[in-house]
Amino acid sequence: MSGSATVGPLDADVWVEGLSRSFNGVAAVRDVSFAVGAGEIHALCGHNGAGKSTVVKLLSGQLAPDAGRIVLRGEAVDFRSRQAAQRSGVALVDQELSVIPALTVLENMLLGDIHVPFVNRRRWAAADCRRILDDMGLGHISPDQPLSALSIGERQLVEIAKALSQKARLVILDEPTATLSDVETEHVFSAIRRVAGLGCSVIFVSHRLSEVLALCDTVTVLRDGRSVATTPARDLTVDELIVQMLGAAPRRLTATRAWDPAHAPALRIEHLHVPGRLSDFTLTASAGRVYALAGQLGSGASDVLRALAGLHPKATGVVELHGRPLPFRDPVRVARAGLAFVSNDRKSEGLFLGTSVARNLVATRLPRLARAGVVQSRLERRTALALAEQSGLPEGRLDDDVLALSGGNQQKVFVGRCLGGGDVWALLLDEPTRGVDVGGRAEIHRLLREAADHGLVVIFASTELDELLELGDVIVTMRDGRVVNRYEGAVDEALLMRDMTHGVDAP
Amino acid sequence: MRMPRATQRPPLGPGSDTAEPEQLADPSGGWRPTVSGVALVVALLALIAVAVTTQRFLTLDNARAILASTAFVGITAIGATLVMIVGSAVSMAVSQTATVVAMMFLATQQLGLWTAVLIAVAAGVAITAAQGAIIGFWNSNPIVLTIAAGFAIGGIATWFSGGTPVYPQTQAFDLLNATPLGLSLAVYVLLGTAVLAQWVLSRTTAGRQMYLIGENRAAARAAGLPVGRVTTLAWAFFGACIALTGIFLASFNTSATVTLGGTLTLDAIAAVLVGGTAITGGRGSALRTLGGALLISTISDVLLLRGFPTGAQILTKGLLVLAVVVIVHVRTTRSWR
Repeated sequence: MSGSATVGPLDADVWVEGLSRSFNGVAAVRDVSFAVGAGEIHALCGHNGAGKSTVVKLLSGQLAPDAGRIVLRGEAVDFRSRQAAQRSGVALVDQELSVIPALTVLENMLLGDIHVPFVNRRRWAAADCRRILDDMGLGHISPDQPLSALSIGERQLVEIAKALSQKARLVILDEPTATLSDVETEHVFSAIRRVAGLGCSVIFVSHRLSEVLALCDTVTVLRDGRSVATTPARDLTVDELIVQMLGAAPRRLTATRAWDPAHAPALRIEHLHVPGRLSDFTLTASAGRVYALAGQLGSGASDVLRALAGLHPKATGVVELHGRPLPFRDPVRVARAGLAFVSNDRKSEGLFLGTSVARNLVATRLPRLARAGVVQSRLERRTALALAEQSGLPEGRLDDDVLALSGGNQQKVFVGRCLGGGDVWALLLDEPTRGVDVGGRAEIHRLLREAADHGLVVIFASTELDELLELGDVIVTMRDGRVVNRYEGAVDEALLMRDMTHGVDAP
Repeated sequence: MRMPRATQRPPLGPGSDTAEPEQLADPSGGWRPTVSGVALVVALLALIAVAVTTQRFLTLDNARAILASTAFVGITAIGATLVMIVGSAVSMAVSQTATVVAMMFLATQQLGLWTAVLIAVAAGVAITAAQGAIIGFWNSNPIVLTIAAGFAIGGIATWFSGGTPVYPQTQAFDLLNATPLGLSLAVYVLLGTAVLAQWVLSRTTAGRQMYLIGENRAAARAAGLPVGRVTTLAWAFFGACIALTGIFLASFNTSATVTLGGTLTLDAIAAVLVGGTAITGGRGSALRTLGGALLISTISDVLLLRGFPTGAQILTKGLLVLAVVVIVHVRTTRSWR
């Protein structure tokens, strides 16, 4: 028990005062203040870009604030690193699981714990681990079990147990339930309640508003980097929370393109199912319209696109393109049939960063630029030029590596690769403007609209309300792998937000 | 002048202050004096200086000797380049494959030279492409797979040869030991293979897709590129190259034992790496591998002429690979940020 000098487990208090942080002159968090009492479960809510994750990073020592202070139990702290934060009793359970499947439960609990001496006292640690697992309601799990034998939800619980074992006084949970099933979520919640019952302060970050209201004592809402309100959860309804998050009168859908009888249904998706991620998704999309899938992480929206692109080999269902069945479990055949997929991960699953813009633009259509397997250089150049022009890329940058471009231009290359003549019938885009500045975003939206006007089916998934409303002719809201609602016109931000965060079956 | 210049490279550290920001500002611009570039030029100048001052280096016979000693490893290395570019790193089963092919070639001599060549090449392609297919379609780890394959192939070779040398029934292969214009046939085959590989890589659909798949396999898969097929194709080409090396080894030695392949596996990898092809895939060229193979042969030749023992040659090869790998790594990490 080599705990730090300030251990006092039962009266942890967290004060955040006037916290500010900007990146490159753009304020991500401005003057955020709130307080969390000992044993309190405190929610941080806000729409994308409201500053939640920046606040989490500031609290956990991953970022240093520009101004303001963090006070733990009456003591101002200045974290220089995540280790420093951990030493002061702050534990973070991340969006991404940071447990290692190949190690045992015990080894994972010891992992990254700065209190562990260089030579582990394993036997003592095992006893300690057993006790903590029992506290968490994980009596059926042995410390010597490899983590890979556990379900995702159980791994999440181990992660929380790990935070506990590190004698944390403040536990921060960043979207812990995004990918969990209802039962698993319930386990995580009872674990969190138990943690709070031991006197820990808990900060819970989530998009799922009904869960927030069910679990938390107090809710602080962030909007545009500022703390808007801190309200006891029992005084709030989901709708009131949404109003706090969105601010002024919510905007409505701008212009919707009506269904044009000239365009027959082009892409028919029936009963698309991805085990554990998506159930029974059905949509008939006609050419010339833009379909928006609205859903947060884990909602299944991006799984619809990935399944169609052939990246979920276990997907089942019926998909037809122009009346012909689409072999959607094989990415090569999907691409050949004329579906182009733009992943939400431009860097690792999208572009060829060390390769020139021109070569990226033609990467997927080399066979069409070749005669007898030999690429025709002139035709290739012409195609690259045409695609660059079509996607609004400066011609002078064609021979630069994609790496040297801005995020916005990189995304234009990615989208531009899927445009162009005659071989693409449907565009599937997952978060088409992630990491793109405002100007680039407008241009990409214009590109997608043009693509639809040229007779393509455009389906995109997004978490951004602005984008969904601006671009979508038809908006399908999703949550927990299911469709919640389908809108054509007559929808506003609040309605979308309600569907995405609350869900149909919630009280 | 004793050992001129070889030790007088500019220090690597301090010079980087000036070269690095330029690189960042304009990564695709024209040639700028980078640390690695300067080091490369100085090293080459040093080598030339040492070589030219070495007795008997600047003779036609010596040039022929260098080319001849490059040929066997070079042909295999050209094929290995495609495999490295497509992102499959390396094969650890090259020596064994070459040995088996050589044995088959000699054992089928009585069917006529060209039939024997055809059988040998087909065998090399089949054995190697099968490994490529497992790597390409099922995403198997190439190192693990080819180590396993190497043992299996070597085992089969030992089993069927009974551990004794395989002798041909006729000497049809003698034709392959011809030396038109004073150069062995293998040298012409090496040059032909290099040009063909370079053309495949830069001009054909499959070759261009090899670069893309090697650079970012996940992106290639998501984009619907035929990852499995193209990977298999690269390995098939590699197999043909190994087979050609095996055929020449057999003709040169007139018999084949299980150790015929010798250190071919690692020698070929060294040549590809010295040529500057990235072991992580996506970058490189066949002509540069040819350059790498020639460089290794030249240095070995110089050391030999200066009377250094074989150990020094092997040591130098190691240092050379290390130096080039470090330079390539510094370059890529710098431009990749």
